Amino acid sequence: MKKFLKTAEGYLYLAPTLIILGIFVYWPIVSSFQMSLTRVAPFGGAVIDVGLENYQRLWNELISGGEYYNNLKVSLLFTLGTVPTGIVIAVALAIALAYPLRRLSWLHRLLIFVPIVISSAVTGVIFRWMYNPAVGYMNHWIGLLGFEPVNWLTSKDWALVAVTLAVVWRQLGFNVIIALAGVQNIDATYYEAAKVDGANLWHRVRHITLPLLSPTLFFLTIINVINSLQTFGEINILTDGGPGQATTNMIYAIYVDAFVGTPFRGYASAQAYLLALLIVIMSIIQFRGFGRRVHYS
Amino acid sequence: MTMPASSSKPRRKIATTDLVMQIFLITVGLIVAMPIIIAIFTSFKSLQDISANPNTLFPREWTWDNYITAWNATPFGRYLLNSFIQSGIIVLFQVLFSIFAAFAFSFLNFRGRDLMFYLILGSLMVPFQLTFIPNFIMVSELPENCRALFGEGAAFCSQTGANTYFGLTVPFLASAFGVFLLRQFFMSLPKDLHDSAQIDGASNFRFLWQIVVPLSKGSISALSIFTFLSAWSQYLWPLIITNDTEMRTVQIGIRFFLANQERGTNWGALMAGAVIVMLPTLLLFLIANRQLVKGIAMTGLKG
Repeated sequence: MKKFLKTAEGYLYLAPTLIILGIFVYWPIVSSFQMSLTRVAPFGGAVIDVGLENYQRLWNELISGGEYYNNLKVSLLFTLGTVPTGIVIAVALAIALAYPLRRLSWLHRLLIFVPIVISSAVTGVIFRWMYNPAVGYMNHWIGLLGFEPVNWLTSKDWALVAVTLAVVWRQLGFNVIIALAGVQNIDATYYEAAKVDGANLWHRVRHITLPLLSPTLFFLTIINVINSLQTFGEINILTDGGPGQATTNMIYAIYVDAFVGTPFRGYASAQAYLLALLIVIMSIIQFRGFGRRVHYS
Repeated sequence: MTMPASSSKPRRKIATTDLVMQIFLITVGLIVAMPIIIAIFTSFKSLQDISANPNTLFPREWTWDNYITAWNATPFGRYLLNSFIQSGIIVLFQVLFSIFAAFAFSFLNFRGRDLMFYLILGSLMVPFQLTFIPNFIMVSELPENCRALFGEGAAFCSQTGANTYFGLTVPFLASAFGVFLLRQFFMSLPKDLHDSAQIDGASNFRFLWQIVVPLSKGSISALSIFTFLSAWSQYLWPLIITNDTEMRTVQIGIRFFLANQERGTNWGALMAGAVIVMLPTLLLFLIANRQLVKGIAMTGLKG
C-alpha cells in the first residue's frame, strides 16, 4: 500500500507535463499520420481514406521535378547556404572574442550576441526594409563595395540569398555564444606548448583550436541544420515563398497547403511526416559522418 | 586564458595587438548590431528625411511621429497586452510544471520513473512541423467538444479554441527542456536535505516549496527568462491560431501592419513598430545578458 502511494505521488508530480506532452506532442504523431492517409472530398467536405495516395503524389512530384522537388531543393540550398556560413563566421568571431582584452569586452559581446533576442518577425520586417531598392541600406552598402544594385526580394536568383542573409544574422548570436563556450573550454596549456614549439596563430587555430572544437562544431551543425529546415517566419514576411516558388521551402509549403486558401491537410500532413523523417535522418547521417573525426578530449 | 596572446614578446607589441583587436571587435560588433541600430535611428526620422536621405545613419531631427502613427494605425497596445498575457501564461505554467516533474525525477523513487524521464526527453525529438496541423485542428474544435461534454450552457467553453489565450498557450504549457534543465540542478542538491526534512516530518510538497525552490532561484529564473524569450518570439502557432485582430500577438501584429500598407509602405512607422516589438526582449537582454549567455552556453538552449 505504501509503495502504491509512493508511485501515485510520483506520477502526480509528473501528471501536468505528461498530459500536455501526451496530448500536444505524442498523440499528434499518430493523428498526423492518420490524417496523411486522407483527403477531403471537393463537395460536401467528407473525409475520404486514400491510403498512400498523398505520398504517391509527393513521390511523383519529386521524380517529375514538380512542386515537391522544388520545395526540397529550396530547403537543401537554404541549408547549404546558412549552415556553413553561419558556423564559419561564428567560429571566427568566437576566436576573436576569446582574445583576452582588458577593456570593453562586455561591449563586444553585447553587440555580437544581441541578435539572440530578436524574433524572426522583427528580423523579417527590418530586413525587408533594408532590402528595399529605394530607401533600404543594402544596395547602398554593396554599392560602396563596388557592386551593382540587386533586386533582393523580387529576383528569383536573389530572393533565397536575401532570406539566407537574414537568417544567418538572426542565428549569429546563438552560434557565437556556443562557439565561444567551446573555444574557452580548450585548455590553455595546449597553446603554451604550441608557442614553445614556435607555432604561429594560424597553426594554433588549425591544429589546436579547430580539432579540439570539433564536438562544438558537431553540435552547432546539427542544431543549425534542424533550425534551417524549420525556417518559416523570415520567409513569410520577406518573400511569402516567392517570387514564384523560389523561396518556398518544405515547411512553407506545408503551411500554404494546410492553411492558405483551400486547406489540403492530408497532403500537408504527408509532407510534414516526410520533413520530420528528413530531420531525423539528417541528424543520423551527420552523426556518422562526423563521428569518426570528432575529437572528444 | 584561452586565445594565444604573444605574451612573451615585449610590452609594446602587446599593446599594438590589443589595439588592433579592439578596433576589429568594435567594428564587427557594430556591423552585427547594425540592423538593430539603424532600425532604432530610422524610427526617429521624419518621413521626408527617410525618402530624401535614405542612407544617413542619424535623423536630421528627432521625432516621435512614427511611433504616434504606428500606435494609431494598429492596436499595438492590445498586441502588447496579448503578448504579455500569452508569454506570462506560458512562463508561469512551464516553470511550475517543470519544477514538479524535475522534483519527482530527482528526489522521489517510484516504479517507471526512468522510463517516464526518457519519454519526456524523447518529446524533444518530435519536430513542431509534425504536430502543428493536428494541434490546430484539435484546439479549433475544443469549444464544440467542450460543449458536447459539459452541455450547451457551459460558458467557459467559449474561452477555449482559436482566438483565445487558452488556445494560444495550451500546447506550450509543459516542456521537456524545462524539466531537463531543472532536474540537472536539483540533482546537484545534497540528498541529506531530503532525508532531514523527512525526519522532521515535512511532506514532500513542503520540502519542495520551502527548501528546493528557494535554493534553485538562479536556475528557475534562468529558465523563466529563456521561456519568456521563446514565447515572446513565437510566430507560426500564433499566426495560425488567431485570425481575430483583437487576439493577435505583437509578432503577428507587426506582420499585418506591414502587409496592410503595401501600397506605399511607411517604413518609419514600421521601424517604430519593430522597435516596440523588440523592446521588451532587448531590455531583458540588457538587464540579464550575463545570465542569459551563461545559460545558453551551458545548455545549448535556443532563446
